Amino acid sequence: MGLLDKLSGWLGLRKKEVNVLCLGLDNSGKTTIINQLKPANMQAQEIVPTIGFNIEKFKSSSLSFTVFDMSGQSRYRNLWEHYYKESHAIIFVIDSSDKLRMVVAKEELDTLLNHEDIRSKKIPVLFFANKMDLRDAMSSVKVTQMLCLENIKDKPWHICASNAIEGEGLQEGLDWLQEEQVFKTLSEI
Amino acid sequence: VSDVFIEETLRKWLDAHYDPVAGLYTFSSCVDLADLSGDGESRLVVGDLGSGSSGMKLKVYRGTALMSESTLLDLPAGLVAFFMDLHEPRIPAVAVASGPCVYVYKNLRPYFKFTLPGLEVNSLEQDVWQQAREGQIDPLTLKEMLEGVRKKADIPLSVRSLRFLSLETSDMDEFVQLHKQQPIRRQTVITCIGTLKKSTADEDGVSCLVIGTESSDVYVLDPEAFIILSKMSLPAAPTMMDVTGQFDVEFRITAACRNGNIYILRRESDKPKYCIELSSHPVGLVRVGKNVVVGCTDESLQGFTQKGKKLWRTILPAPITTMAAMDLPTRGFQAVLVGLANCEVQLYRDKNLLSTIKTPDVVTSICFGRYGREDGTLIMTTKGGGLIVKILKRTAAFDDKDSAPGPPLAQSVRLNVPKKTKLYVDQTLRERENGLAMHRAFQMDLSRLRLAAAKAYVKALESSLTPMSSSLTEPLKMNAVVQGLGPSFKLTLNVQNTAACRPVMNLAISFLYDESLYRMRNPYMKIPLLVPGLIYPVETFVECTSDKGISDIIKVFILHEGKSSPLLTAHINMPVSEGLTLN
Ligand SMILES: Nc1nc2c(ncn2[C@@H]2O[C@H](COP(=O)(O)OP(=O)(O)OP(=O)(O)O)[C@@H](O)[C@H]2O)c(=O)[nH]1
Ligand SMILES: [Mg+2]
Repeated sequence: MGLLDKLSGWLGLRKKEVNVLCLGLDNSGKTTIINQLKPANMQAQEIVPTIGFNIEKFKSSSLSFTVFDMSGQSRYRNLWEHYYKESHAIIFVIDSSDKLRMVVAKEELDTLLNHEDIRSKKIPVLFFANKMDLRDAMSSVKVTQMLCLENIKDKPWHICASNAIEGEGLQEGLDWLQEEQVFKTLSEI
Repeated sequence: VSDVFIEETLRKWLDAHYDPVAGLYTFSSCVDLADLSGDGESRLVVGDLGSGSSGMKLKVYRGTALMSESTLLDLPAGLVAFFMDLHEPRIPAVAVASGPCVYVYKNLRPYFKFTLPGLEVNSLEQDVWQQAREGQIDPLTLKEMLEGVRKKADIPLSVRSLRFLSLETSDMDEFVQLHKQQPIRRQTVITCIGTLKKSTADEDGVSCLVIGTESSDVYVLDPEAFIILSKMSLPAAPTMMDVTGQFDVEFRITAACRNGNIYILRRESDKPKYCIELSSHPVGLVRVGKNVVVGCTDESLQGFTQKGKKLWRTILPAPITTMAAMDLPTRGFQAVLVGLANCEVQLYRDKNLLSTIKTPDVVTSICFGRYGREDGTLIMTTKGGGLIVKILKRTAAFDDKDSAPGPPLAQSVRLNVPKKTKLYVDQTLRERENGLAMHRAFQMDLSRLRLAAAKAYVKALESSLTPMSSSLTEPLKMNAVVQGLGPSFKLTLNVQNTAACRPVMNLAISFLYDESLYRMRNPYMKIPLLVPGLIYPVETFVECTSDKGISDIIKVFILHEGKSSPLLTAHINMPVSEGLTLN
C-alpha cells in the first residue's frame, strides 16, 4: 500500500479495509453482536445458531469491516485457525452467565493465542463479556480473572461488558478497535 | 506415577467445577442428564438419598448452581428422565422409583404416582387375621399361629404380620385393634428402573419405564397410561438393569441379579433367554455397543457378548464403587468409566485402560453426557457429598497404546500372505485324495528310520564305540577336554563311575593316534579305583609334530585289564596347532 493510499485512508478518503474474526463458544452471542453492528435496515430479525461461518460487511466512520462470524459449536471450532492469517483483529465473545464453560472458553482462547499464526502477531483482541443483563452473569472483571487475560502481554486487548440484545457496550468496544486500527495504520506510515 | 496421572488427566479433561460440600449423596442409578426446559441446555437431575433416613430430595442443577429441589417421600432406588408423550416443546419427564412406587414429575411438578400391584397374600395368614377380627383369638394366640404360618408357608407373610411378630407383648393388643379391620396386603419394592423406547429409536422418542422388583419381576409400563404392558420373571431379584431396543420391535433387558447371575430377557419370552454365571457378585453393569461390561466384587472387569459369551477379563487396582458408560456419538467413542475405592476413576475400552482420573474423594456416582451445552461432560459425586464436573477437551484423544497391558500391536497386523498357487492347489487336492496312502507311506518310512537308528545304536553299544558304557559291572561315562593352542595340548579326560554304589577297579586308558602327527607322553595309563559318582580327571599331554597345519582324530579307549574289547571309546577332534615348535 502506497503512502498516498495510507494518507487518504487515514483522512477517510478511502476507508481502510480490516478483516475481523469473531470467535467464542456457541451461544455466546457472536451473531447477535454482529447483527447489532450492522445498519438498522440490514439487521436480521431472527438469529439462529451459525453453521460453519458467515461473512458480514459494514462500515464505521473510518474503517470498512469484513467480519468472519464463525460458528462456536465444537465440531466447527477447527475452522477458526484457517482464518488467523488474514485477520487484522479478533473479537472474542464470552457468555458471562455460563460459569460452567468458562474453562472451555479459556481453553479455546489459549489455543488461539498459542497458534503459530497468532502468537507472534501484534493483533488486537477485543473481548465482549456478553449477556451482562442476565441475573447470574459475572462481571467483566471476574471474566478477565477467569480467563487470565492479564497474562496477555504482547497484544493489545480490551474487554467490555455487553448486552447484545439491547446493543449496550458494543460501541465502546468498536471504538477501541477503531483506535487500535488507526494507530496501527499511523505506525505503519 | 501420580504426576504422570495428573498431567495425563489435564491433557484430556478441563476442570469445570468442584464443590466439595455440595451435599449430594447419591449413586449412579439416581443421576440423569436431561434438557428439562427445552432450551437446548441439559440439566443434572439427582435423587439425593440425604442421610438415608431423612433429607431425601429431588435436586436439579443448571451449570454450577442448584436450580431447584423438592422433598422425596422415600429413599430413591433409581431415577430416569424420559419422554412420556409427543407434546411440543419436547420436554422430558422425570421418574423416581422409591419403595413400591414410581413418582413421575413433569416440569418438576408431581404429575403421577404409579404403585406396583400387590402380591398374593397367604390364605392361612388371612384366615388367622379373620379370626382375630372376629375376636375368636387373643393376640398371643395370633402370634403363635402366625409364627406357625411363617415357618411352613411358601408365600411369605405380609409386612403387617412381620411387624406384629416383632412387637412386645404389651403393644400387641393396640396393634391388632388398629389394623385388624384393614385388608392384608403384600407389597414388593422397586430395586431398579430403566427406560425402553416404545416404537422408534429417535433420541426424543416416547419411552416405556422398565422396573425391576424385589419379587424378581420385571415390568414394562406404558408411558402415557402407566398400565403394565409386559411382565417378565427372573430367578432372583435384579439389582441393576440395562435396557436396549424398542418395545414394539425388539428389545433386550440385561439384569444383574442378587444371586450373582446376569440374565438376558428378550421380547419373545417372559423368561430369561441367556444366563451369565459370575464367579463373584456384580456391582456394575454397562452396555457398550452390543457387549456388556460387568464389574464384580473380586475387583475384576469382564466383557460379555449379548448372548452371554465371555470375551475378556481384567483385574482392577481397587474395589469398584460405581460404573457408567462414556458414550460420545459425535466422535464415535464408547468406553466404560469405573469408579474405584482408591480415589480413581478409570476409563476402559474393552479390557484396555485408556486413562485414569484422580479424584479428591471416593466417587459414588458417575454420569457422562451432555450437560449445559457441552456434549462431553463427566459428572461425579463423592462419598463426602461433593460434586465434580469435568469437560472432555475438544482435542482429547484416547490411545489404546498408552495402556501397558494387552496383546502387542504387532499381533493385530495382518500378514501379507501370498495368493494360493496352482501348485499349492494341486498338492492340496492330491493330499486330500491320497491322504490314507500318504500317511501309511510316511509311517512306514518313519518306522524304518527308527529301526535303522536303533540298529546303529545297538551296534555302537556292543562295540563300545560310545563315550558311555552301559555294562552292568562297569557303568562309566567320560568326556574329554583339549586345552592349549599347540603344538603342546593338554588332554583331560573326565571319567565317572555312574554305578549306584559299586566301585570300579583295574581300568586303563589307551590312545590310538597317527604317530606321524602326534607324540604322546604316556599313551597308556592306569586308572585308579573309581568311587561311584565322583569325576576323576585324567590328564596327559599331546604334542603335534607336524607344522603343516593339519589335525586328526585321537581315539581314546577305556579298557579292563585282561580284556581286549574296550569298555568305551571316544573320538577327540584335535584342533589345528597354531603355535610354533621351539626346536
Ligand atoms: N440475555 C441475553 N441473551 C443474548 C445476548 N446475546 C445473545 N443472546 C442470546 O443468546 C443466543 C445465542 O446467540 P447467537 O448470537 O446465536 O450466538 P453465537 O455465538 O452466534 O452462537 P453460534 O453461532 O452457535 O456460535 C440467542 O438466543 C441470543 O438471543 C445478551 O447479551 N443477553
Ligand atoms: Mg452465530
